[in-house]
Amino acid sequence: MPQTSREIVRRSLDFDTPERMPRDLWVLPEMERKHPGILKKIREAYPSDFAWLPGTSNFNWISSVYNVSPRLKGNPYKAGEYIDEWGCVFDNVYDGIIGEIKKPLIEDISDINRVIPPYEILPSDYAKARDFVNSFCGNSDKFVFGSCCPRLWERIQFILGTENAMMDIMLYENEFRDLLRIIHDFNLKELEFWASTDVDVLMFMDDWGCQNQLLLRPEIWRNIFKPLYKEYCDLAHSNGKYIFMHSDGYIIDIYKDLIEIGVNAVNSQLFCMDMRQIAKEVKNKITFWGEIDRQHVLVSNDLEKGRAAVRKVAESLYNPKGGIIAQFELGTGANPDMAMVIYDEWEKIQKR
Amino acid sequence: MNQNLFTAVCKGDRNKVKELVNSELAGNTSPNVILNESMIPAIRNIGERFSKHEVFVPEMLIAARAMQAGLDILSPVLAKAGHKALGKVAVGTVKGDLHDIGKNLVSIMLKGAGYEVNDLGVNCPVEKYDAAVQNGATVVLCSALLTTTMTYMKDIVDHFKSNPNVKIIVGGAPVTKDYANSISAHGYGSDAYEAVQLVDSLFKSA
Repeated sequence: MPQTSREIVRRSLDFDTPERMPRDLWVLPEMERKHPGILKKIREAYPSDFAWLPGTSNFNWISSVYNVSPRLKGNPYKAGEYIDEWGCVFDNVYDGIIGEIKKPLIEDISDINRVIPPYEILPSDYAKARDFVNSFCGNSDKFVFGSCCPRLWERIQFILGTENAMMDIMLYENEFRDLLRIIHDFNLKELEFWASTDVDVLMFMDDWGCQNQLLLRPEIWRNIFKPLYKEYCDLAHSNGKYIFMHSDGYIIDIYKDLIEIGVNAVNSQLFCMDMRQIAKEVKNKITFWGEIDRQHVLVSNDLEKGRAAVRKVAESLYNPKGGIIAQFELGTGANPDMAMVIYDEWEKIQKR
Repeated sequence: MNQNLFTAVCKGDRNKVKELVNSELAGNTSPNVILNESMIPAIRNIGERFSKHEVFVPEMLIAARAMQAGLDILSPVLAKAGHKALGKVAVGTVKGDLHDIGKNLVSIMLKGAGYEVNDLGVNCPVEKYDAAVQNGATVVLCSALLTTTMTYMKDIVDHFKSNPNVKIIVGGAPVTKDYANSISAHGYGSDAYEAVQLVDSLFKSA
């Protein structure tokens, strides 16, 4: 009997030889709007092994579980101003992508009392919300994500503004930790709900890399952020869930830390880093949840670049026992034809 | 060189920088000497170490802010003494792109290095760069974080193609030297320090 998507993903994460590599395709709303025909074909030919609850869209909250915060105004994927549930104000230039923070919620970290987490959005009736989620999971043979994606560093940037956040972590460590704790406690509360459901995996994210180095000194990251992330991982594992992390940029310096705290799969920009070095340090110890180069390959009209990129990942990291999820993101400006080519190349590699 | 001032800029100790600049001025040290012998070497030192991955973005930002605090005191004194900037440049993130950290670092580094910087902000159409050039900028630095927005750099290069006095430098996460060459930009900076070095070389060769 063929393995279900859920089993394929689990086996891959456990290095237990799935019958094929799991697939996961991310598509930004703008691409959905521009290329519905091609995307339909891709999804028919190479269905994803992952599922989100209905209504989940790029980590927006789903109405069947969450309440709407009165602070929320506008749409994060529309051009113009958007205010999120924490009250952070964003400015967006184009439809289909998320904008940038326009005005920090607080200009000074000593104004921490003005930061009020949106506890009001958490389920009013936990049992009812759980039933809804569990019913979906029970009817799906896919690997189901919890529909939330907590982030510490990104939220703190939304609250303080990026430049202040970067300086405050160095200059006002105690206040920074206090603010982080406010965010972290909310994140835990949210994750606790999802951990109590039948979803297969929880996830969290923060972009920790510049193009060619970590944003912060690794020791600062280890001292301040790593213990908090470990609590997310512990929560997931103690409830029988896997846990994934997304982090953009050059993050080779923290892969071993992610393994140590229990992250099962990491979505990172492999092509910013030396993949052979990654293989040397952490191959077979964590699953690489993608990706293929968004900056230079997926936007190219040269489809051979897509095949070459897959071969490059395979040469360094492929193991038939598991450890790779064939994931990539069709973001703004991507060439949708690249998706077929990439999946085709992965199939060829697996048949060798 | 005032070693204490150099160290205070490098460490990003804003208050110490203010105190030491004021103290040097009170002791009748020339503002040019304070700037050129202590502060500029300090910010260049930090930039160079950032390029070598010995320091990280937060340290760079803190040093830049301390540098700015010193410049705020020195600038009116320098102006009064008839000090001229090394050159006039414009810095902006291209149209459609709202990311500004890289652009801000380049801007502060250039100010610190002695240039008059017209910081155009983010989401800049070509008209904004054009206005800066009309206002005297001869080097234009364009930043982009997104692959979709970096293509706008070509519009900017093309716009100034007929003006040999204007040089365009491009940079930002997805931008590469090959891309810069493909759109005929005059230079590519992989980080803020490299951008300053490029500007230096363009002004020297002008």
